[in-house]
Amino acid sequence: MSSIALVGNPNTGKTSLFNTLTSSYEYVGNWAGVTVEKKIGSLKNGAGKLIDLPGIYSLHPLSRDEGVATQYLIEESPEALINIVDASQLERNLLLTLQLLEYGKPTVLGLNMIDVAKARGIAVNHEVLQSRLGITVLPLIARSGKGSGQVLSVLEKASAIPQVTFRLDYGELAEQAIASIETELKSISGLPNLRWVALQLMEQNPVVLELLKKRMDISRLMVICDRCQSALQSSKQALTLPQWIRSIRMDYIRSLCTAAMDTTLLKPHNLTERLDSILTHRFLGLPLFIFFMYAMFKTTFDWVGGPLSDLVDGLISGPISNGASSLLQTVGASGFTHALIVDGIIGGVGGVVVFIPQIFILFLMISFLEDSGYMARVCLLMDSTMERMGLNGKAFIPFIIGFGCNVPAIMAARSIEQPKDRMLTTLLMPLMSCSARLPVYLLFAAVFFPAQQATAVLAMYVLGVVFALILCKLFSKHLFKNESSVFIIELPPYRMPQLKTLGRSTWEKGKGFLRKAGTIILAGSVIIWLMSYAGPSGLNVDMDHSFLAKFGGLIAPLLHPLGFGTWQAGSTLVPGFLAKEVVVSTMNIIYHAPDAAGLEGQISQVFTPLSSVSFMAFILLYIPCLATVGVIRKETASWKWTFFSMGYSLVLAYLVSLVIFQGGSLLGLS
Amino acid sequence: MASTSCSLLRLQPGSTGSIQRIEGMNPILRRRLADLGVSEGVMIRLKGKGPFLGPITLECNGQLFAIRRKEASMIEVNVS
Repeated sequence: MSSIALVGNPNTGKTSLFNTLTSSYEYVGNWAGVTVEKKIGSLKNGAGKLIDLPGIYSLHPLSRDEGVATQYLIEESPEALINIVDASQLERNLLLTLQLLEYGKPTVLGLNMIDVAKARGIAVNHEVLQSRLGITVLPLIARSGKGSGQVLSVLEKASAIPQVTFRLDYGELAEQAIASIETELKSISGLPNLRWVALQLMEQNPVVLELLKKRMDISRLMVICDRCQSALQSSKQALTLPQWIRSIRMDYIRSLCTAAMDTTLLKPHNLTERLDSILTHRFLGLPLFIFFMYAMFKTTFDWVGGPLSDLVDGLISGPISNGASSLLQTVGASGFTHALIVDGIIGGVGGVVVFIPQIFILFLMISFLEDSGYMARVCLLMDSTMERMGLNGKAFIPFIIGFGCNVPAIMAARSIEQPKDRMLTTLLMPLMSCSARLPVYLLFAAVFFPAQQATAVLAMYVLGVVFALILCKLFSKHLFKNESSVFIIELPPYRMPQLKTLGRSTWEKGKGFLRKAGTIILAGSVIIWLMSYAGPSGLNVDMDHSFLAKFGGLIAPLLHPLGFGTWQAGSTLVPGFLAKEVVVSTMNIIYHAPDAAGLEGQISQVFTPLSSVSFMAFILLYIPCLATVGVIRKETASWKWTFFSMGYSLVLAYLVSLVIFQGGSLLGLS
Repeated sequence: MASTSCSLLRLQPGSTGSIQRIEGMNPILRRRLADLGVSEGVMIRLKGKGPFLGPITLECNGQLFAIRRKEASMIEVNVS
C-alpha cells in the first residue's frame, strides 16, 4: 500500500479534497488552521492511503499544528506528495512548493480554487507551470469536487508519478556550501534527500537541526554555514544565509508567475471588501457581532428550536412512552423491567433527546460561521479586548467552537502560535458553555423565565465568557508573568457556505451527541435509575430512602449555601462529570417525569427563580466533563495543569453561585 | 516625485506604500509575516483600522490579514 500526503498552505482546501478523494469526512472551515492533526484515509479507488496534513507556509514550524506536518515529512516517508496551491495566491503558495520539490519525492501539483482566481480576474496557465516545474499540474475546485477525478486517476499508479527533476541554482557560494554539507551527510543513513536537508539546515530549520543532532556532531556543518554566510556578507550579496536562499526562491517564483499568470484583468476582492467595510467597521463591527449572536440564540431557542423541540417532546411522552408501556404489559414484563424501561431509559435518555433540535440548530449556526469566513473577523474585532486580558484575538476561534463542544475546541487551540496563549486558551475552555450544558438552561429557562428564554440562555453564555476574560487576566498576570502576546490573523475571502457542506458539518458535530445519547447517557440513566430504585432496605424503595438519596444527601449540606441543598440537586452533579447532559437525565428520573412538562412542574416546586439561576451558573462552571479533562491532559501533557483546570472551575462555580444566591437573598429576591 | 518614508500606521486607509524596513519586531511575528510574503521591498496597503485601537487590516500580494498597531508601527514604508 502506498501512502500519499496532502501538503499545502493553510486554508487552501486540502481537507475538502481529502474528503472527496477518500470516503471519510474531516472537519472543514474557512480560516487558517482548521486541521490540527494529521488525518489518514483510504483512497476511493483503493490505490493506497491519503494523509491530510495541517497547513504550513514553509517547512519551519511556528505553531504546534505546523510541527505535526513538518515532523511527518521528515520522519516518515510518503511515496508521493500532492501539493495543493491556491490559484488566487500563487506567489505565496509556491514558496512551499519549491521546498517540497527539493524534498525530491514524486509530486503532483493541485492548482485549487481556479474559480476564486477567475472571479478575481486571475488566469493561471497550468501548462506553463507544468513545463517549468517539471511536474503534473491539475486544475481543481476542491469545494465542488471538480477535477478530483483526474487526481484520483493520477494517484491510481502512484509509483508511475515521475521523479522530480527540479533544481534551483543558489549561486556559486551557496552551491559550494550545499556540496560540502552533502559530502558530510553521505555517511548518515535514513535521511531524506540530502540536497534538501542541506538547504533546510542552511535555513536553520529547527526540526532538521534536531534530527541531525541526534545522528551526528553538527559543529562541522555549522562551520560550513557560517563560512558561507560571511562570504555572502563580504561580497554584499545578502546579510544572512536564510535571507539569501529566500531571495533566490522569490526571484524564481516571480519570474515563474510572470510567465504563468495573467493578471491584467485583476479586480479587488469586491464582495469581501464591501462586507468587511461593514462587518469590521470600527464602530459598527462589535455591535453587529453581538447582534448576530443574539439572533443566533433567538433562532436556536425561540423561533425554530423551541417549537421543534416541543414536537419531539410530545412524541416521546405520548406515543413512545405509552406504546412502550402497553407493549410491556402485553408481553407480561415484570414491574422491575417496566420501571427500568419507562422511568429509567425513556425518562432519562428521552429527557435529553428532546433537546436535539436546539442542539442541531446551534451546530448549524456554528458551521455557518466556520464556513463563511466571519470567524477570522470576530478574532479581529475581539483582539483589543483580549489583549487587555493578556491573550490574543485568535483564541476566539476555539472559544466559538467551544460553544459546540469543548473537546475539538481545545484541539483547535493548536493553531495559536505562542505556547503561553495556547495554554491559557486550553485552561479557560471549560468556561465556554458547550451544547451539553444547554439542556439544563433550556429546562430551567422554560420554567422560570418563559418570556425571555433566549435572553436567559444567552446570559449564561455571556457569564461564561466574562469569567473566562477575568480569569485570563488573573492567570496571565500571576501564572505566566504577563509575557506579551502577538497577534496576526489571515482574513480569508468571504464565501457563501454551500448547503451540502453545512449539512455535512452539522451532522458530523451532531453525530457525537447522538452517540453519547446511545452510550454514556443511556448507561448513566440506567445506573442512576437503579440507584434510585434500590436502597439499603431492598428494591423498589421510596426514592427518599434510596441509595441515590443517601449519596446526594452527602453533598447536599455543602450546596445549602448555594440555594439548592437538596439530595436531588446534589445527586445530579457527580454523574454530570461524565457528560453534562446526564444532569437533565438524572432530574427526569428523580422527578419521575417522562416528559418535559411534568419535569418543569416538579422543578418549579423545588427551585425558586433565584436558586435556579444559582444552579445554572454552577452547572455552567463547575467542572470540565470527563472527555474534556482527557483532552486537556493530552494537549498540555501535564497532570498539574489538568488538575488545576478542574480545581479552579470548582472553586469558581462555588463562589459564583454563593454570591448569586446570598447576594440575591440579601436584595430580597427569591 | 520625492518619496518619503514613514510608519505604516501613518498611511491613509486605502493607500499603498513599499516596505523599507521592519525593525524590532517579535521574531515569531516576523517569521509569520515573511510566510505571508511581507518583507522589504514589497508593496503593502492599509485597508482599515479596527475598533478600540485594535488591529489594523493590511493587504499584501492579494492576501488580507490583520496585525496590532504596535507591531504595525515597526514597519516603515516608502510613499511616493
